[in-house]
Amino acid sequence: MNPADRDPAARRRLFGFLAALAILWPLFRMAEVKPGALFDAANLKVIGHFLGAFLPPETGAEFLAYLARATLETLAIASAGMALAGLLAVPLAYLASAAGREKPALNPLTRSLLTVLRGIPELVWALLFVRVFGLGPAAGVLALGLTYGGMLAKVYAEILESADAAPARALRLNGASRPLAILYGLLPQVAKELVSYTVYRWECAIRASVVMGFVGAGGLGQLMDQAMKMLNGGEAASILLTFMLLVFAADGLSGWLRRALDRPPAKRASPFGWRSLGLLVALPGVVLASFYFLGIGFGELFSLEAARSIGEFVAGFLSPDLSAEWLGKVAKGSLETLAISLVGTLFAAIGGLLLALPPWRAPFSFLLNSLRSVPELVWATITALAVGLGPFAGALALALHTTGVLGRLYAEALANVPAAPGRALRLCGVPGSLAFLYGTLPGAAPQLIAYTLYRWEMNIRMAAILGFVGAGGLGQLLYFELSLFHHAQASTVIVAMLLLSIAVDQASAWLRQRMR
Amino acid sequence: MSISTPRRLALKGALACALASAVSFPAFAEDAVLRVSAIPDEAPTELQRKFAPLGKYLEAQTGIKVVFTPVSDYAAVVESLASKKIDLAWLGGFTFIQAKIRTNGTAIPIVQREEDARFTSRFITADASIKALSDLKGKTFAFGAPSSTSGSLMPRFFLLQAGLNPEKDFKNVAFSGAHDATVAFVAAGKADAGVLNASVWDKLVEQKKVDPDKVRVFATTPPYFDYNWTVRGDLDPVLIRKLTDAFLKLDPANPEHKEILALQRAAKFIPTKKENYDGIEKAAHAAGLLK
Repeated sequence: MNPADRDPAARRRLFGFLAALAILWPLFRMAEVKPGALFDAANLKVIGHFLGAFLPPETGAEFLAYLARATLETLAIASAGMALAGLLAVPLAYLASAAGREKPALNPLTRSLLTVLRGIPELVWALLFVRVFGLGPAAGVLALGLTYGGMLAKVYAEILESADAAPARALRLNGASRPLAILYGLLPQVAKELVSYTVYRWECAIRASVVMGFVGAGGLGQLMDQAMKMLNGGEAASILLTFMLLVFAADGLSGWLRRALDRPPAKRASPFGWRSLGLLVALPGVVLASFYFLGIGFGELFSLEAARSIGEFVAGFLSPDLSAEWLGKVAKGSLETLAISLVGTLFAAIGGLLLALPPWRAPFSFLLNSLRSVPELVWATITALAVGLGPFAGALALALHTTGVLGRLYAEALANVPAAPGRALRLCGVPGSLAFLYGTLPGAAPQLIAYTLYRWEMNIRMAAILGFVGAGGLGQLLYFELSLFHHAQASTVIVAMLLLSIAVDQASAWLRQRMR
Repeated sequence: MSISTPRRLALKGALACALASAVSFPAFAEDAVLRVSAIPDEAPTELQRKFAPLGKYLEAQTGIKVVFTPVSDYAAVVESLASKKIDLAWLGGFTFIQAKIRTNGTAIPIVQREEDARFTSRFITADASIKALSDLKGKTFAFGAPSSTSGSLMPRFFLLQAGLNPEKDFKNVAFSGAHDATVAFVAAGKADAGVLNASVWDKLVEQKKVDPDKVRVFATTPPYFDYNWTVRGDLDPVLIRKLTDAFLKLDPANPEHKEILALQRAAKFIPTKKENYDGIEKAAHAAGLLK
């Protein structure tokens, strides 16, 4: 080939490709990827039987009564958990944020507290709190409150930092205290963004509170867990339908709220419309009703008894088991978890891209939304039937849910790419597929890669807990050891989960930087 | 910049509401209520159905309101007993040992079913090639909950005695969480074989919830001590006496009692003592489930 025609980056790309293959191959082996299992006759029969039982969905009066109660409980857990998260996030964000400070002195103590809160998945918190507070939804509320408190605080702090610092600085220089400078100099700029993010998180909290039921924290998840364990297809179908309706409704409500925020105030007659008033009444009302419905007394949560049992519990965790034999087991589980997260994300990136491409969106967005609205843990119970128990079931479950998420984001990113380069290539007579590859895709690639890497960070946390339903990795170890009150061993597993999620965060940040 | 008065008022109102919500819920009052729970070795709805007539009977015998709370986690029952959130619990042999350890030996087992003194577990499969325990090598295997006596501990103990290490010799180990779920796993082919408590297996066969031609028993464990009703140690001794007597008075000749006993799958209840479960404790150490 004429040297001038050769791709100047060819050697580097080939090297990158080979390096990726060398790293990924053992992980594929570890995740036990066997696409053949999907078409195994015995497995097909099992899953066919189960899915066949989905029709008709269970509609017995007794079951529907359980279902209604569980749905209310799920909503209440999400709302009460968010209220707690808000209470936690505001002071933490104030402490952690560099906003309104003279020097950007980051607070390492608060920052690391936030990392711990976010790094341990909410399901693990729930599992711990179920042991401390025993029966029922209090554990779910606290778990949501802690993880989401950590997440909200971090994002609040960053949003405040991203605002134009000049007004706050001017206020500080004129003698205003830091809280006042933030309140009057920064908040007005970012209020919309803060509220919008909070509403989005509430929507996520509903999904999360469903999952929490899988460890006995009440709500729809608990019903789902039972139905799935008993392989009761009719009940599973009813619960799944209810759940999807709930997610779609929350999606709609949060979209409506965010659009309402987008309207410039000047267009409204009064800055304080019926909507704001309604919200001001409804919000405390909902939170109050949630706590009342769940029957959680705050007094009970903060009682001496509770403090004592938490103290005892934490003490049991302070001496992790560091014997060589146990560390070896945990290391193997960690690698398996890493493999599940990588393979799952990779499959999802491919599937998401394929589903994001067709120009005729309606059926594909519906498919993507459906994939997305079923939580990974529920997918895992189904994939475990389809390919047998083990890490491949976990990777597939992650892939299915993440395909829904990534497909939607990819489609949006592709729609926002400038059309000119692709059109120019097509006008020069280049076939459509090549025009897409060389004209459109490069424009969207950085964003696509960033989305994928972000998602990988979330998937490593999820992969760590998929083992609760028999999908391998660290989760199964944790579930087993906690059941047996082996706190020293469980503690090692939780530390490993934390380290793994921090490592993946770092790797993903590094990759994003390199690919920019 | 200033905040308009109505907005400021509204903000204050919201703050007041938030504060009120934080303080206005009183802790639960300590009424004369007997709080009962059970390890979820079967589906929680089934547990509630089984307990309803027994609960009424205990209420009549002790004169105290009885509240049953279903739980979906074995360890949560043990922890609730230890943290005094429940008074009376239906425990397995191993969960009793866990409760004994977590309450510093104060938890008291009061009665057990006659059957519990010679309890067994059944190994089941739907795979024609599995005829003995040694055929399990390289297969997927389903236990019940990790802390179940008849669905996890004792089968593991006897498997180890037969030279099989579940983590090393099986292809995959699953924990179904409950005995009836184990049967569902095996019947559906989700696991090649599984193990469960003999009493639940017999019930499922009687109720025709499992097809014995498809799923069959290929091995049974030697007998061991299992389930009991346990109270927390600092419960009023008079109440403990009343509860024990109430269980022991259940008489199969009385039609009303017969129904209660049938639901509990008991011929009758007999007294029990901590020492009965020493064997379980030894087995748990041997199988590595207790450290």
